[in-house]
Amino acid sequence: MSYVFFPGCSLDGTAKDFHRSTLAVASRLGLELPELKDWICCGSTAAHSTDPLLADALPAHNLFAAGGQTLAVACAACYSRLKMANHHIAGDAAVRAKVARLVGGDYDGLTPVRHLLEILCQDIGRARIAKAVKRPLKGLKVACYYGCLLSRPPEVTNFDDAENPTLMDQLMATAGATPVDWPHKTECCGASFSITDSSIVLKLSDQILAMAQAAGVDCIATACPLCQLNLDMRQKDIEKRYQRKYNLPVFYFTQLLGLAMGCTPQEVSLGSLVVAPYGLLEAKGICGAEARR
Amino acid sequence: MTAAIVELEEVGGRLGAEVKARSGAAPMSCYQCAKCSSGCPVAGRADLKPHELVRLVQMNQREAALMSRFIWECTSCQTCVTRCPQKVDIPAMNDALRAMSASEGVAAGTSVPLFNEIFLKSVRKRGRVYEMGLMAAYKLRTGRLFEDATKAPMMLAKGKLPLAGPRVDGRSERERMFREAAEGGGE
Repeated sequence: MSYVFFPGCSLDGTAKDFHRSTLAVASRLGLELPELKDWICCGSTAAHSTDPLLADALPAHNLFAAGGQTLAVACAACYSRLKMANHHIAGDAAVRAKVARLVGGDYDGLTPVRHLLEILCQDIGRARIAKAVKRPLKGLKVACYYGCLLSRPPEVTNFDDAENPTLMDQLMATAGATPVDWPHKTECCGASFSITDSSIVLKLSDQILAMAQAAGVDCIATACPLCQLNLDMRQKDIEKRYQRKYNLPVFYFTQLLGLAMGCTPQEVSLGSLVVAPYGLLEAKGICGAEARR
Repeated sequence: MTAAIVELEEVGGRLGAEVKARSGAAPMSCYQCAKCSSGCPVAGRADLKPHELVRLVQMNQREAALMSRFIWECTSCQTCVTRCPQKVDIPAMNDALRAMSASEGVAAGTSVPLFNEIFLKSVRKRGRVYEMGLMAAYKLRTGRLFEDATKAPMMLAKGKLPLAGPRVDGRSERERMFREAAEGGGE
């Protein structure tokens, strides 16, 4: 299967490490991810809280431009908006007609959208990934955190299981790590309230970190730029506000997978993480002291 | 004694119908089981719980619904609609109520509409969001200059904030798209 890659705005900024590690993993697997030319923002929460038609038209512009090829997406929020637009356009002729006027062409709502987790686990398959693992993440206990938008609502995203997804757990197990059973896989981190009302994020993200810690993990793996940023960049603020100590590195799952495939720490941008992962990775024998450079 | 039977479609038809027309959500189908509120991440802090907001809509309590803080504290996490036995799309309903609340100028003490406006302006002009420009504009316009003041230098050092903003071709097509969307899609 061939794909065209939709990075989304975060992957060119705050989630550059997600972008870089995604391409590093793809290259190890021989998976080609050419970037969709002149893609535009999916509109995110700002568009769907303001105007439902604009919220469908912005993703549709990109889905139409993909020309029937499968769109590969890393950001969970973009994935949600692209799938939501498809759901509205394919399911409602009136929406389809309005969107056609806005994007300048009749888009049918049928461009396939696949998240990286689906591509890696279901399209490529764990057997091929296992062959690419050179340095198993032995003894690394991981809480796989999916957040809201990959699996909900299931009628729209049709991603894994809405309440208990396991694709990331399967990948981490294939990479040699130990994914744990824990109850906050799909709880909300507070998302974009990081900017407009951080008290929401501090409380919700604290609950996620506390639950991961109680499950006895070494680190958290994420698949969403907002989840990663809230759990990682705000972790110190959360510790201060709620008088706790977490010190839990929060990776993108692609960073861990890349390390297992033999990528260097630089290739997966470990230096971009706020909670430093080096002590942990050295203790587990995954990276040497040279990673800190 | 004769029980008073409240005909919801008559009492609350107007706001319920308006929400449905704008969003496709069907608040009139709710039978108040409150499953939405037990899974809602912000139900414990907002002024209303989601099932209470739906009830307000059913009873045509327009002012209370549009002025509630809850509609601005909803994180659009989609938990409620995923679990709702009647599939009442509360996140979509909230989107409609937010748009109505913002356009009628009654949004309760929130900077979310301003953030959305700055965000969409960046998309309209550049085609993409320039996170650094977005943050700077938001801080200037809210006066919250020193909140998270240490974050930007740290993010810069981590390579997470490029100094140059993106710019995608097709500005005139985007201008047309935004204009026509605001006009309702050429109806």
